[in-house]
Amino acid sequence: MLLLEINEASFSYPQQNTPVFSGINFRVGPGEIFCLLGPNGCGKTTLLDCVLGIHRLARGSIHVNGEDTRKFRPGELARHVAYVPQRHENSFPYTVIDMVKMGRAVYTGRFSSPSDLDKERAKEALKIVGMMHMRHRPFTQLSGGEAQLVLIARALAQQTPLVIMDEPTAHLDFKHEMLVMETIVKLVRETGLSVLMATHFPNHTFYFENQNIPVTVALLHDQSILEQGKPTEVLTETNVAQIYRVNSRLAEFPLDAGGWLRQLIPLSTLRKEENCDE
Amino acid sequence: MPRCWECIGTRKRIIYIILALAPILAIILSLFIGRYPVSLSDIGQVILTRLHLANYEVAKVNSVLIWDIRLPRAILGAMVGACLAVSGAAFQGLFRNPLVSSGILGVSSGAGFGAALAIILFHGNTSATYIFAFGFALLAVFLSYMIGQVYNTTPTIMLVLGGVIVSSVFSSLISFTKYVADPFQELPSIVFWLMGSLASADYQDIMVAGVPMLAGVIGLLGIRWRINVLSMGDKEAHTLGVNLKLDKAIVILAATLATAGAVCVSGIIGWVGLIIPHISRMLVGNDNRLLIPSSMALGACFLVLVDDVGRVITGSEIPLGILTALIGAPFFVWLLKKTKGGGW
Repeated sequence: MLLLEINEASFSYPQQNTPVFSGINFRVGPGEIFCLLGPNGCGKTTLLDCVLGIHRLARGSIHVNGEDTRKFRPGELARHVAYVPQRHENSFPYTVIDMVKMGRAVYTGRFSSPSDLDKERAKEALKIVGMMHMRHRPFTQLSGGEAQLVLIARALAQQTPLVIMDEPTAHLDFKHEMLVMETIVKLVRETGLSVLMATHFPNHTFYFENQNIPVTVALLHDQSILEQGKPTEVLTETNVAQIYRVNSRLAEFPLDAGGWLRQLIPLSTLRKEENCDE
Repeated sequence: MPRCWECIGTRKRIIYIILALAPILAIILSLFIGRYPVSLSDIGQVILTRLHLANYEVAKVNSVLIWDIRLPRAILGAMVGACLAVSGAAFQGLFRNPLVSSGILGVSSGAGFGAALAIILFHGNTSATYIFAFGFALLAVFLSYMIGQVYNTTPTIMLVLGGVIVSSVFSSLISFTKYVADPFQELPSIVFWLMGSLASADYQDIMVAGVPMLAGVIGLLGIRWRINVLSMGDKEAHTLGVNLKLDKAIVILAATLATAGAVCVSGIIGWVGLIIPHISRMLVGNDNRLLIPSSMALGACFLVLVDDVGRVITGSEIPLGILTALIGAPFFVWLLKKTKGGGW
């Protein structure tokens, strides 16, 4: 069965005539990574917010596990879909383990607290992302990369088949970017999780492809999806020039283990007048 | 609360025991404090006799002083302090801001106006003052909440804005009632009410105001872990499976019942709802599972002790609202200095 099915989705902010996006269709199956690519302001986050039920679609429908999300009771969506924000806005310095326990809110009654079982789930999630040793540290004192891993653990503690990530590697250094990517691959491979993510880095999708994870890329352009498919098919120099207005070359290196390592290397930006279709 | 008593540190265990006992000790201590000296055996005999557990020959003056004046005043003080502190802590979590206090949604100014209005209309009839203060306190919060609903959801900033608007309107209305009040009878009553006092406390106050206070406190104790999740911010709390509208409404309703119940018998007492949650944060951390009960205990202690100071420091009593600010303000400056860079 499909985890997530989006049909003819369109959305516009109130009092604005032009839609942020319209006619969006895509599907996410189990154990799959679906990457939304597109320039800043193209509506990636808005689209994710619609899936998360923060915004309501103007037209179209979103089905999760075969059910229309409009029919969900408040909070029910959180049993199917978890969310990793791009950045957590700090409020109070909760400890790391307390942060992860909040992922159990959907299984905890309004007037009760997480049980011992919930605590175990939170610990398991921290172990998976390798942050168990930090569990008593205040969340606010973690580095950006560590905080991101903890937020991923919180989403795992929620035990949903689908996790939505909004640019999970933004603001991270070289190593932590890799660490988060490896963690995502590990999760998909070992737990069969599906991930829907917005990302700014086309090369991340090649990374997933090289790790033999089923990955689909959708290029958001001009309020709709320009093309979707496997990274090698979709991320061509022509498409990159069209959506990012960047002149780039696709480099390919043979890997020792077989197959190809592909990287898009940006060369220069294109001016508006230049014809990107050659 | 942690499930196993053994797995928490000794320091924390001592803190919890002290917090649990402190309000009771403060209440007992305040039975001794005052112009008329009483001994421990006097207190013991009066309490046992009045509870019909024993039958001592106690002096009438001791009996009245301890059982009918000092004890209800201390109990009411503890209740008011606990309610103000606990709603402050809950609002700080809800609004994700440690500088918020129990009056953020206009509950105090609403109560103040209600009391002032009752003093003018009913010449200070006590029950009318309670009812008006309580009613207008609820009305003020309801109006703030409705203003916060303008955008159909409940964004925090709109709620705060609603609170600011409603507070300023009721503050103006209080000024207006002062302006039209009879300057010899009503005006002093209004001014004294607004300064806050526990001087008239009796068991009837405890029974009547205790109902909303108890309801509010039970609500907040029940929902206290949810306040943690709500403090993640609207978007994250939503994706974590929280019914934002309902849960926020429950927190606001419970905190308002507690505060309105407290304010209608005590008048306006500032600072408790701001500084007590802060001291609690320093002692037990930011997890509302511990913060909410410890704020209650500390708030109860603080108000009983400040009231004791107010009773004995000068010949006549100093109103509570003045002292909490005089003691609270310097402390808060010190606190701001100390918590600078402490994570928020």
